[in-house]
Amino acid sequence: MTTTRSAIEHTSPPHLGSGGRARRRVLALAAAETRLLLRNRTAVMSSLLLPLAVVAAVGAITVSNGGTVDGPGLLASAFGVTLTFLTFYNLVTTFVARREELVLQRMRTGELTDAEVLLGTAVPTLLVSLVQVVLVAVGVVALGYWSAPVDVVLPLVALLGGGALMVVLAAVSTSFTRTVEGAQFTTMPLVLTATMLSGLLIPLADFPEQLARVARFLPLTPVIELSRLGLVGETWDGQAVDTAGAWAASPLPLAVLAGWLVTGAVLARLVFRWAPRR
Amino acid sequence: MNLSTHRTDIDPRPGQAPTAAAPAIEVVGLERRYGDFHAVRGISFDVHPGEVFALLGVNGAGKTSALEVLEGLAAASAGSVRVLGHDPRRDRAAVRRYLGVLLQHSGLPGDLTVRETVHTWARTLTDPRPVAEALEQVDLAGRADIRVRSLSGGERRRLDLAMALLGRPRVVVLDEPTTGLDPESRRAVWGIVRNLVDGGAAVVLTTHHLEEAEELADRIAILQAGLVVLSGTPEEISATQPATIRFTVPEGAPPLPSLAGVRVERTAHQVELSTFALQPTLTQLMTWAGEHDLELTGLQARAASLEQAFLAVADGALPTAA
Repeated sequence: MTTTRSAIEHTSPPHLGSGGRARRRVLALAAAETRLLLRNRTAVMSSLLLPLAVVAAVGAITVSNGGTVDGPGLLASAFGVTLTFLTFYNLVTTFVARREELVLQRMRTGELTDAEVLLGTAVPTLLVSLVQVVLVAVGVVALGYWSAPVDVVLPLVALLGGGALMVVLAAVSTSFTRTVEGAQFTTMPLVLTATMLSGLLIPLADFPEQLARVARFLPLTPVIELSRLGLVGETWDGQAVDTAGAWAASPLPLAVLAGWLVTGAVLARLVFRWAPRR
Repeated sequence: MNLSTHRTDIDPRPGQAPTAAAPAIEVVGLERRYGDFHAVRGISFDVHPGEVFALLGVNGAGKTSALEVLEGLAAASAGSVRVLGHDPRRDRAAVRRYLGVLLQHSGLPGDLTVRETVHTWARTLTDPRPVAEALEQVDLAGRADIRVRSLSGGERRRLDLAMALLGRPRVVVLDEPTTGLDPESRRAVWGIVRNLVDGGAAVVLTTHHLEEAEELADRIAILQAGLVVLSGTPEEISATQPATIRFTVPEGAPPLPSLAGVRVERTAHQVELSTFALQPTLTQLMTWAGEHDLELTGLQARAASLEQAFLAVADGALPTAA
């Protein structure tokens, strides 16, 4: 017994730290997943076109209602639309597809940890999401609708935190999604609450105040709230703020976002299934 | 009947004494329950470096459920499993590097080529073998640039095996490694398994093919309804069943001699004797035939096969071992 134990401890290669090895494993899986995505032209086109179309529609509706296009506001909307329609939906279908193909179970037989398997599988979707947001930003600047943001840190936190939140919420959603097709229905609760009640399409300021106060605690709301605080300089109830004001208004949405991240991660650990139901 | 104590009597591989080293796998009182269903009901076995251990049993006997605990993919409901001295689930990071797993069913994305698939897997491993060498070993070098989607079932199985062995494992778990392979590929896989144990690996495998267990396994456990009902070397297991002697007696032959401890079944002139003492029984029979100047046509004498033992277990004809 002691001989085998010490044999294990002494043969680990010293040249790479555990962090370096973990990064190499995730990158290996991410590279393969990216290659798979690029080989699927339909998936590339639809994941890029759909959110761009939604963002364009938001802009067009604003204009047709006699408003002027608000560049930073449009970018904040792009964060929310991309995270729900692209990041979240793609991740649910990818995780379910890999589970039903028995790929996830195989990945677990190797040296990859569970978190590395999920992260490696999610990387291409997260990259496409980032490209998407950058495209909208470039478009807004090119069309001359840009104005300097009040703060850049809060929107960045919103985008990164939102991306991480989509990974864990997608992992949770796969537990009640049996097929890739089924994802169209099982993703609806989050997509609907996100689009209707997060301030993404309809500003929370237009809601009855009681409802708006509750809506602030839904998962995507803090992402929109933080994005708008930084990019537009506007609080959830429509008050204009400067940088100091934006930060003063940020603790609640930051806490809600962190709370959902923790809740989602704990739930994902509990309910995620690595193999199809037999 | 617990035959595992006779283990030291089996012929060790030349130059190796598998029982001398610490066991690579130790399973003690392993149980698995799914709700009310008790899939594995307390099994124990050891596997040493340089040894092949085969789990046999009909579908649903609990083979895969037991292996999933060894693989670290599932928790035991009771009992303990140690792989290289570690809990394969809780100390996964310590064990994984040295563990090669071939699942009974597992998938691969169809749109990567064979080479890309193995290369990706190699990059997740601490000390992978060269990709080309691994493909060569399972005879897939010529298919390296084919997409996985286009492989035949047998080719896919060989790719599975290449990936399971890519990290130079010291403990190898193979769940039905040759299912779906043609006879030639199956023999190639047997050769690979023999090389693994010659290199000092400990191998656990499950199989439906009894000749595969007979060919490869140093020791076998037969699992039925979640319990080990027989274990030992293939020879020991075969010896739990009586040998049979068959012949036809000529017209007007005198009655058979009384044969102690021998079961006689007779239909018209066809006789079948079941005995645990084949040679003495045969000698008595031949003496009797010689004295009466009889010719026993169609005479056959055969030691019990592993298959007989297996079928006896499957039919529930054996008392369960303690």
